Amino acid sequence: MIQLFHVTKYYEGCLALSDISLRIDKGECVLLTGPSGAGKTSLLKLIFGAEHPDDGQILVQNRNIARLRRADVPYHRRTMGFVLQDFKLLPHRTVFENVSLPLIIRGLSSFESRRKVIEALRAVGMEHKQSTHAAVLSAGEQQRACIARAIVNSPIILLADEPTGNLDPQLTIEIAELFKAINARGTTVMMATHNRQVVEQLNGRVLRLECGHLLSDQGTYT
Amino acid sequence: MKRLWYFIREAFISLRTHQASTVIGIITTAFTLTSFGTFLLLYHNVHNLIGRVQTNVQIIVYPDDSIEPQELQSLKKTIQEDPAIDSLTLISKNDALKDFKHQFPDEAYLLDGLGSSPFPASLVLNLANTIPSTGVVSNLVNRLQQHPHVERVRYNRDWIERLALVITYIEVGALIVGGVLALASITIIANTVQLAFYTRQEEIEILRLIGGTNLFISIPYLIEGAVIGGLGGGIALVFLRGGFEFFKHKTHTLSVIGGFSSIFEFFPYSFSFLLILGGILLGCVGTFTSMYGWMRFRL
Repeated sequence: MIQLFHVTKYYEGCLALSDISLRIDKGECVLLTGPSGAGKTSLLKLIFGAEHPDDGQILVQNRNIARLRRADVPYHRRTMGFVLQDFKLLPHRTVFENVSLPLIIRGLSSFESRRKVIEALRAVGMEHKQSTHAAVLSAGEQQRACIARAIVNSPIILLADEPTGNLDPQLTIEIAELFKAINARGTTVMMATHNRQVVEQLNGRVLRLECGHLLSDQGTYT
Repeated sequence: MKRLWYFIREAFISLRTHQASTVIGIITTAFTLTSFGTFLLLYHNVHNLIGRVQTNVQIIVYPDDSIEPQELQSLKKTIQEDPAIDSLTLISKNDALKDFKHQFPDEAYLLDGLGSSPFPASLVLNLANTIPSTGVVSNLVNRLQQHPHVERVRYNRDWIERLALVITYIEVGALIVGGVLALASITIIANTVQLAFYTRQEEIEILRLIGGTNLFISIPYLIEGAVIGGLGGGIALVFLRGGFEFFKHKTHTLSVIGGFSSIFEFFPYSFSFLLILGGILLGCVGTFTSMYGWMRFRL
């Protein structure tokens, strides 16, 4: 599903990732841990196609992301979902409009689009908030709407960068449960977090990064 | 269909949400197109005025006195076939005498004892409505002068040459001023849109995040630019029409330019439509220029 071969990335001369090689199979739940600046976000960005590696190759579903043409990047992104710490919702649009955006981009019919949006909102428990503007949602609701938008396209891979970073412990448990449920349906989940509670709850494969180096690759959190 | 509706909706939501930049964009386009339109209106009317004056430019051909009626007819036919000639009037020797007596009744007695008319017959040629180049008129005059039965040809060469020169200057001026104003307009609109882009940076980033292509992201902005440009063009048209009517009324009332005020005319409808279309085009080009710079280096 995802393979990295000796991937190295620099930002203005500073090393962000150093010689990272790993393989993630379909349906896995991978947790990227490590302190701030360890390279977790950089790794997710490389897989997402938001950055190019300075060295090495990245294969996502047998497609070499390192050699992806600029014009093909959006199509690559449509095969995956991305959840961020700061939600990234359009504040003046309703929850329904926000969640339906990826489907509009794909050009789905109104009927099909509506069905998928309702399905995604139901999966995150936000069906009753579909007509509410994103700006008036609570932090937990915003993150749920964001997850709904990420899964509405039925992606094979779901990437998440500190999705519980802005949430209180109770909401963190709820959001982690959502990711667990999504993973249980067969979606590969790759999440960057330094929340121990989330790591324990998801009980996935833990990759520990520090200063751009992959320090450990373990099945469970230690 | 859903996408199209999305694009239009997004464009209008954006226009409504970012009212300040929308108004700036419309005012900028309206100002630019009004300036450009004023120049074109001036050009249009000067061109018309010159065209009208030019119809009064005449070439007078004096056939020799010994010319036979058949030869005169042949000469008339040759002249009439020339595309630069609109009309031809034959003034016989007797007609010339009558004209003289009519124009100078006090001096008419001077010619009473002469018997036959002392004035030569002449052919008065009016040039065609389209403004001829100096070369065309000179060639025609040269040809006529070489005709065996033509004694003399008279026309105001300087006047025609100056006329042609003025028209050339105006055309070159229109091209330069039009080009500079269009470039200025594109730059201003591009900057306005760029400003709007900065305020909507996060929105654009979200669309990229969920797989929106540059084209998908750009279309609502292009529609927005087209609406701003079109509205600017429409307002410019209203200003131009209002200004034109005011000027026409003033010149008529004050008789500043005498009888000429009646020949001033506004652009034809087709051109008014083109002005709005020009605004739309400027809006689109401005948006495209801005977006191209914005998206070029972003993954």
